[in-house]
Amino acid sequence: MTERNADYHAIVTTFLSKQYKQVVALNDVSLRVEAGAIFGFLGPNGAGKTTAIKLLLGFISPTSGSAEIFGHETWRHGVEARQHVGYLVPADAFYPEMSGRSQLDFASRLSGSPPILRRPLLDLLELADADLDRDLRQYSKGMKQKLALVAAAQHDPRLLILDEPTDGLDPLIQRRFEQFLREFNSRGRTVFMSSHDLAEVERLCESVAIVKDGGLVAHQSIEQIRRMRYRQVEVTFASEAPDGRVWPDGVQLQSANGHRYVLAVEGDINPLIEALAKYEVEDLKITPPSLDDVFMTFYESAGSSKHRSQYQAAESKIEVS
Amino acid sequence: MRAVFHSWLWLMRRSASGLVALLIGLGAFELIQPVAIASLGDLDRLTGLLNIVPPAFLALFNVTPEFLGGSGLTGYLSLGFSHPVYHLLSGATVIWFACRGLAGEMERGSIQIGLSRPMSRLQVYLARVLGVFAVTLLAAVAGPVGMIAGIAVSSPVGAVNYANFITQGAACALLTGCIGGATLLISASASRMGQAVGWAIALLVVSYVIDYFADLWETLKPIETYSIFDYYDPPAALVSGVIPAMNAAVLLTVSMVGIVLGYVVFTRRDLP
Repeated sequence: MTERNADYHAIVTTFLSKQYKQVVALNDVSLRVEAGAIFGFLGPNGAGKTTAIKLLLGFISPTSGSAEIFGHETWRHGVEARQHVGYLVPADAFYPEMSGRSQLDFASRLSGSPPILRRPLLDLLELADADLDRDLRQYSKGMKQKLALVAAAQHDPRLLILDEPTDGLDPLIQRRFEQFLREFNSRGRTVFMSSHDLAEVERLCESVAIVKDGGLVAHQSIEQIRRMRYRQVEVTFASEAPDGRVWPDGVQLQSANGHRYVLAVEGDINPLIEALAKYEVEDLKITPPSLDDVFMTFYESAGSSKHRSQYQAAESKIEVS
Repeated sequence: MRAVFHSWLWLMRRSASGLVALLIGLGAFELIQPVAIASLGDLDRLTGLLNIVPPAFLALFNVTPEFLGGSGLTGYLSLGFSHPVYHLLSGATVIWFACRGLAGEMERGSIQIGLSRPMSRLQVYLARVLGVFAVTLLAAVAGPVGMIAGIAVSSPVGAVNYANFITQGAACALLTGCIGGATLLISASASRMGQAVGWAIALLVVSYVIDYFADLWETLKPIETYSIFDYYDPPAALVSGVIPAMNAAVLLTVSMVGIVLGYVVFTRRDLP
């Protein structure tokens, strides 16, 4: 690990693999998460997200490759690697017979750092003092999740690893926690989060990695991923429709119904706008590429040559963070 | 070491109610022994009673009527520490604790609370070992304390050397610690609490059965040395105030081997 990596990268995995007997849970995953970034880690169920997080925290050993946090290898030097980490423990992992407050105190003592963010987090997540004095047996799923979030972040770690952070939270609290993450990140803190809520990822993350079947299928910025997909353009011409041959490169006709055309536009939209300007347009609707669509495409057909080539082309153009 | 201490304290706190219940049970069971003996009046009546007990029943206590006849009240009191119910309660206490703290926490994911922080697996394991030591000590004290209370309450006929209760407590601690060490190894290897408890109880029962049948059938005598109960001798501790050095060495060795192997397994394994 070079000093530069330790300074600039919160997380580095190099050909990280994990195999359980005949099952390959993670295969040659190489990731770099820049320090100070909010990084999304996405994939369908069973894709290898949890395995990767367990490897990062030293809960399991890699079959091959390595994972580092702030320059420390996570399996052999786990204590150093986790020195500045906050991890969102699954809400059900907390002890049902103990009070919320005692669990926060316990987590804080083990962290070895004062819980300076506990009060603001409790206020933000609306977890009252009276709630903290109750056993977890009396907590709802959402309350347990809030407690887990406070326990993860209360000591203001340099790196926060969150697995489905807003699962079980109501939308208002969810937005507040997102705001907290932005503020947390604005102080140079790093957030590594997995989520099924793609809208949340889109709102928060600067870059993402997508895993499927244990392999990395994408690792780039949200913008780059968006650019890799088609925008949908619905155009209704006032009079005679143009010949299909006028469409610029990168535009495909998806359907036509009278004067109404549905087009798929890859990349820059301006050539199409210029082409349409020559005609009398009655209505124009441009639907931006949805991350849902992009991710679903990756989830469903990551192995297809089309997307692999798209990915490789994008990879060759950019230096991934 | 602060993390080990906090982790150990946390383990003890969250197990407190269950532990107290088991320890009260253990103490209460021993309290009953002198009360029962006192209720029979003099020891001769008890000796007469034991003379008609079948050998298979007496083998449960690992004593003969002749020994009891010659050892007085303390000989009869020692039966309370070799009674199967005593083994069940003391074994359950340490097995429950050792399985809950390691396999149970791995199953629930609670162990991640410590291991996602700057805490090594050695520290996490050490907290469990300290917990097993503490529970062993408490279980070893609960029995003699209960029996002394029973003697105070019922005043059975016969002489009692109270200093020998310390030796008896040490013998109990050696046996319970041995079970605890072996259970830590099982618990470190398992991924579910039920699985660990099942294996630990199975091991304990097999060990007890070997010791029991070896007392009954001469042909099984050679394998008796493979039972931990062969190295536990309450009559020697309570009547004579001694723990044979060989017994102490074997029980301590098994305990230490279990603890060390448990550490090796726990620090190398993947968490479930």
